[in-house]
Amino acid sequence: MRNAVGREIPERIGSRDVEAYRGAFAFRRDGRKVARHQKGAPQSEDKLLPSIDAAIEACGLSDGMTISFHHSFRDGDRVINLVLDACARAGLKDLRLFPTALFPAHQPVIEHVRNGVVSRIEGSMNGAVGAFVSQGGQLAEPAVLRSHGGRWRAVEAGDVEIDVAFIAAPQADPYGNANGIRGKTPCGPISFATVDARHARQTVVITNDLQPYPVYPMEIEQGWTDWVVEVDEIGDPASIASGTLQLTRSPTNLRIARLTADAVVASPYFVDGFSFQGGAGGISLAVTSHLGDEMEKAGIVGSFGMGGGTKMLVGVLHRGLIRAILDGQAFDLDAIASIRDDAAHVMIDPGFYANFDSRGCATYQLDTAFLGATEVDLDFNVNVNTHSDGRLLHGIGGHQDVAAGAAMTMITIPALRGRMPMIRDRVTTVTTPGEVVDVVVTERGLAVNPRREDLTERFVAAGLPVRGLEEIKAEVERLVRPVGRPIFGEEVIAAIEWRDGTVIDVVRKVEGWECKK
Amino acid sequence: MVVRIGSEEKGDCLVEVEPGRDGLTVETKNKDLLEEGIRTVVGEAVSTLGVDASVRTVETGALDYVIVARVEAAVRAAAPDRATPIVPSVDRDASERDRPRRSRLYAPGNRPRLLAGIEVHGADCVLLDLEDAVPLAEKPAARILVKHLLATVRFPDEVWVRINPLDAGGRDDVEEILLGRPHGICLPKAESAADVRALSELLRRVESNRGVDEGGTWILPILETAAGVLHAEEIASADPRVVALAFGAEDYTRDVGARRRWDALLYARSRIVAAAASAGIQASDTVFADLDDAAGLEEECVRARDLGFDGKGAINPRQLPAIHRAFSPTEDEIEYARRVVAAAEEAEANGAGAVALDGRMVDRPVLERARRTIKYAGRLVGRGEER
Repeated sequence: MRNAVGREIPERIGSRDVEAYRGAFAFRRDGRKVARHQKGAPQSEDKLLPSIDAAIEACGLSDGMTISFHHSFRDGDRVINLVLDACARAGLKDLRLFPTALFPAHQPVIEHVRNGVVSRIEGSMNGAVGAFVSQGGQLAEPAVLRSHGGRWRAVEAGDVEIDVAFIAAPQADPYGNANGIRGKTPCGPISFATVDARHARQTVVITNDLQPYPVYPMEIEQGWTDWVVEVDEIGDPASIASGTLQLTRSPTNLRIARLTADAVVASPYFVDGFSFQGGAGGISLAVTSHLGDEMEKAGIVGSFGMGGGTKMLVGVLHRGLIRAILDGQAFDLDAIASIRDDAAHVMIDPGFYANFDSRGCATYQLDTAFLGATEVDLDFNVNVNTHSDGRLLHGIGGHQDVAAGAAMTMITIPALRGRMPMIRDRVTTVTTPGEVVDVVVTERGLAVNPRREDLTERFVAAGLPVRGLEEIKAEVERLVRPVGRPIFGEEVIAAIEWRDGTVIDVVRKVEGWECKK
Repeated sequence: MVVRIGSEEKGDCLVEVEPGRDGLTVETKNKDLLEEGIRTVVGEAVSTLGVDASVRTVETGALDYVIVARVEAAVRAAAPDRATPIVPSVDRDASERDRPRRSRLYAPGNRPRLLAGIEVHGADCVLLDLEDAVPLAEKPAARILVKHLLATVRFPDEVWVRINPLDAGGRDDVEEILLGRPHGICLPKAESAADVRALSELLRRVESNRGVDEGGTWILPILETAAGVLHAEEIASADPRVVALAFGAEDYTRDVGARRRWDALLYARSRIVAAAASAGIQASDTVFADLDDAAGLEEECVRARDLGFDGKGAINPRQLPAIHRAFSPTEDEIEYARRVVAAAEEAEANGAGAVALDGRMVDRPVLERARRTIKYAGRLVGRGEER
């Protein structure tokens, strides 16, 4: 069947019946949230266990069950590998891995798929695991990719039932309270895991810094936690949060950042109470820095900036240019320190910021957001999941949630990366539909979605270089011979869910490549 | 003998050529999508050059013109007697003599990574450098790269080339790059009218050989020695191709033993501005070398503008917004210019000999400057400049 962005979607993917994407806000599910079985806790219960192996046994983890993880340690995470090694030792098979995201550090997952410990994966795959899954035939069911808000929704709606949630926590107490912003190796908020902790049949907190009761803040609460394990290491601090994120020095990226900031200033949203989402990419950091300066110059005080928190965004808060930061992830040590010290730097979870089924998302309060992409197409559709060669290499992150929510969604993307043109006739995979994208900013000018004539007028009046996507595409295609593109087979490697749980696209197995003259 | 040209730096292409053999090897990180296109580009270049050779390329995100340029440079170095230079087709008209030249953005002619996208930053003139930026051994390959860049890339405004002094490779530079039809040639270390005339004569000869409009290639002499500054006046009026004088402070301070301070260079700057004005051409200030000193750049731009300069060199696109701010006519200047021109038109209509505005006489140079301000302002409208 063909969905509302014109993608051909199977009616069944693996063992699941598919709801096809109908439009960014068109689908409403009828139903209730699922709730956890009430167990109660005897007053004397000792939750502390000596090892991950002991926890696996205590939880009664068995073949075919679903285990979940969060990704606040990003590429520095050790816990997923530790737990899977323990599962292998316990002789477990056919587990469904349900992380918020996997990173290059999780390459050992491939071995656990090969030896049968893991047979299904639902979660973002950045790097090697994605490339492995792209080969096809590796998993018992196609992978499922969800946005931050989409994953939260799927757990609450009961689309995914978690058997055991393993929660890496930089600080915890023996009774199961835990947080991510204190301890020996803080990683920032671990709020992505709270929905898992509340819904899993069993919740295990794994920490490298066990402190006497009570630790605070209590991102993870005692009432959700079944077991606590102390280990030597849960992550590599060097890869968890970098000391300082690098501002881009690339003239191309700096130009994109400058044009993005200039467009925001020219937009109708740049008034008192202005809000924006900053990111950790080089371009986003530069835009955030420019916007701080522009707000100061214009005497504007914004309502809030949304994280991932960075030194740059914290700087804007400390200069009094925004009233608050709403933050679900912290990308550097300054951001983590600010969460501890600044009352106006508020920790939020994906349910608060992005859950489609809730009565309100923080992203809906955003005036603007500037998001990256691997490709865009002439319909303003955006791909962040696959490379142009067809391989699945990235997760969705909050891309869909933020793009759908912000009043003016801007995609920042170089028109050329090396000799690869990034504006395509059709994106390889649709992650985010053109209907929620307002502006594409390249180093060669800005393209405005035809739905937003109002913005075009503003930008032109401000002297910004507004151009058609076709025109920019043609300009860079003069510089390079046609590049090839993947030929897809039938086998579905992964389903890409829209944030409401419908399927916006699938990633199919690549059979080869062709180069059209 | 194997000849190697280019590098494995991002955006570049390493080419190895061995004459007398055949075979074509392409290595690229993104084999599935890129190999076929690259193979076509290399194959076409080799066949145009007309030399049998084995060619191995290691591509790292290079654009087509970079690959062609690297192949041409390698084949010509390997078989200098047999290879015919590639004559690219070029679609570029001569530029207007009198146009805004607020910024000239330098880019090293041997570094594809830094040349990629150089046309997008909104510089009034992009200046592809074959002189100081390029080590001696790389000059032949850089000439060829600049030729192909010129032929391929569309520049929204002007594109110039800084050649080497004529007695140090500049003649070869001109022979090669005129095939790419730059708008103008920047002549370093100009010290006399004779230097300029020698270049002009060379340009005339090469233009006529190449079928380019004769006289259509402008000259920008850089005055960067004591002799150059002292002869500013004769250099400015040496040839109709000269559209501006540029000041080069780095070499000048070394030559006279000065320290790089505003006061120490004031005489040279003033002399250049006066010489340019008296010849009716533009004056362009030296580059500001400290990329991280935004306030220093801002201040030097304003001072140079106050002194009478029309523009300034830039070593990085980041410097362009400050330069453009300083050298664009202000709203007040445009408004005043409009009133001057209106007064002149009214005086002409009334048959009045003298033009007066607000009770003061407007003389000829003021009127001319006003006309130029209006013209430049018109050229700068809606250019989409960064703040």
